[in-house]
Amino acid sequence: MSRGPHISYRAKDAGDFDAEVDFVVVGSGAGGAVAAVTLARAGHHVAIVEAGAWRDPQDYPFTAYAGMRDLLDEWGAQVTMGRALWPVVQARTMGGTTVVNSAICVRTPDDIFVQWKDQHGITGLRERSLAAQDRLEKELSVEEVPEAARGRSNELAMKGAQALGWHEAHYMRRYVKGCVGSGQCIQGCRKLKKQSTNLNFIPEVRDRGGLILSAAPVDRVMLNGTRAEGVTGHFVHPATKAKGAKFTVRARKAVVVAASVTHTPVLLMKSGIQNPLLGKYFRSHPGTGIFGCYDEPVDQNTGATQGWASVAFRESPGLKLETLSIPPELIASRFSGGGVELMKRLEEYRHVAMWCLAVRAESAGTISKPMFGSAPVIKYTLDGADMIKFRKGMVLLAQQHFAAGAREIIPGVAGLPFKLGPHQVDLLEHGPLDPRAYIAILSHLFGGCVMGTDAKNSVVDSHGRVHGYQGLVVADASVIPTNLGVNPQNTIMSLATIFAEDLIS
Amino acid sequence: MNWLIRAALVILYPRTPNLPGVEDCDIDGFLVKFRRETPTLMWVGTVLGAIVFHLTPVMTVFIPLPAFLLPKKLADTHAHKITTTNFYLLRQAIFLVKLPGGMAWGANAEVRKRFAMLPYDPDPGTWRTE
Repeated sequence: MSRGPHISYRAKDAGDFDAEVDFVVVGSGAGGAVAAVTLARAGHHVAIVEAGAWRDPQDYPFTAYAGMRDLLDEWGAQVTMGRALWPVVQARTMGGTTVVNSAICVRTPDDIFVQWKDQHGITGLRERSLAAQDRLEKELSVEEVPEAARGRSNELAMKGAQALGWHEAHYMRRYVKGCVGSGQCIQGCRKLKKQSTNLNFIPEVRDRGGLILSAAPVDRVMLNGTRAEGVTGHFVHPATKAKGAKFTVRARKAVVVAASVTHTPVLLMKSGIQNPLLGKYFRSHPGTGIFGCYDEPVDQNTGATQGWASVAFRESPGLKLETLSIPPELIASRFSGGGVELMKRLEEYRHVAMWCLAVRAESAGTISKPMFGSAPVIKYTLDGADMIKFRKGMVLLAQQHFAAGAREIIPGVAGLPFKLGPHQVDLLEHGPLDPRAYIAILSHLFGGCVMGTDAKNSVVDSHGRVHGYQGLVVADASVIPTNLGVNPQNTIMSLATIFAEDLIS
Repeated sequence: MNWLIRAALVILYPRTPNLPGVEDCDIDGFLVKFRRETPTLMWVGTVLGAIVFHLTPVMTVFIPLPAFLLPKKLADTHAHKITTTNFYLLRQAIFLVKLPGGMAWGANAEVRKRFAMLPYDPDPGTWRTE
């Protein structure tokens, strides 16, 4: 079989681009790439249509600035519209968020399948999902962060957790083969260690004769009545953002949408899909970090960007704890203050370690079409119960830092002192429950096209098929109807595998 | 508007005995690039952040002058007070100008050297075209 073409940006004067394949997959991240490769391996002619550019490791940026510019959706500046303006971070590049995340691999917890069955009538996914996760983990060489790549921040986190007797604390298992701890996960791994989908599944789809379109955001899914027949849009220049030629890719069999939790519901809305639940039940893992200040240099920029985690608090109060290293460019605006005082605070960069909490939040928001521009509108506010979990997470991280030997912590909470000592943790325990007091981001997004057996309470069925339409499947985290409480990449990839297999059968 | 943003950033990230300030980090070149590359909305936000920064000394040091006309010490006091204000939207507005300043400052080779980090290679800014 001959290698398929890759079509990147085409200027308007180059003329429209038209093609026809068996399956069109919109998006190339954890969901889209896995669905596409599953279909291609079954012998089908597949097209992947990706909004972002195709950047190989030698194209990856070095600085955080260029990382935002080249790899993130809306420069990473999209924020929630709610009580607090919290950024929503997703990628827009070939490979999607698998290029910029830490490739953390966590199996879907059993209680999630029970929850899906009890609350949404979904059955029959558990065994298939876990079997798919088993295969994917082998194929993508999942391994624990090697000792030599752990770095001081991750080792301190383990020390703190052990001192506190947390049993569910571990060095992470990640889709990373032979990590060398270069600390560049969020700018894309130039060492070719992280197994992002642009390095494996997408080239394989192409090798199997598939068509790849990059810099090609889809404007709408083409419908003939209730049947999806393809997608259309205009190329966008990766640097100048100039609108290019029109493209149309027709699907003989089905369109698989995996454009992300924020873009998939909006794309379906723009395409005229009628379902009142589109964009509803948006959930996430809002999170923040606390810095510990240590006497010895931590040099958080060395070692795995994220190498340690704990799920000890997943069920109660509903938290995941993990490490995260960020470069000086981001610390500079993350630390509060300005002027000489800020510069004094930044002098300590080498001595601080950042550890994070992610709340398994039950609060739900909505995704809707924008009045202008292309960025979806995300309405989301954490309710009081979730803010109590959030605050509890701050306390746990503070205790962990002190147990690991930190002399002070930097909580980053408005209204509290810049630094707190070991005897001031009670200030966090009684800290504000107003989300505006915290600097947080939303990662791990779920919902917007939730899955369920009842068409009145869901957008897609347990095969990912959009209720009431033919040849239209959703295969990304937007179908996930509940908050997982763990990193979702494994779950997303396994669901995409199952949905693609169901399309084949 | 670059001068307005630059003036705010020089106050927010000043040169100190131990660290270079943003004025040592080719901030002018960075702002030209930032203006050229950034989405319009983000640029407008940065300009608005700078305007808010310069117009608010009356709230922090009680002097009705723009921040760029304040004596150095008062400007420094203003920078700290306005970035730690309890007014959420004010804090967010200032963050919009603080963010690109931090990007320029933290990526600078001299700053990275102070933190025992190697200088960054130039960002390629390239992508696959065929």
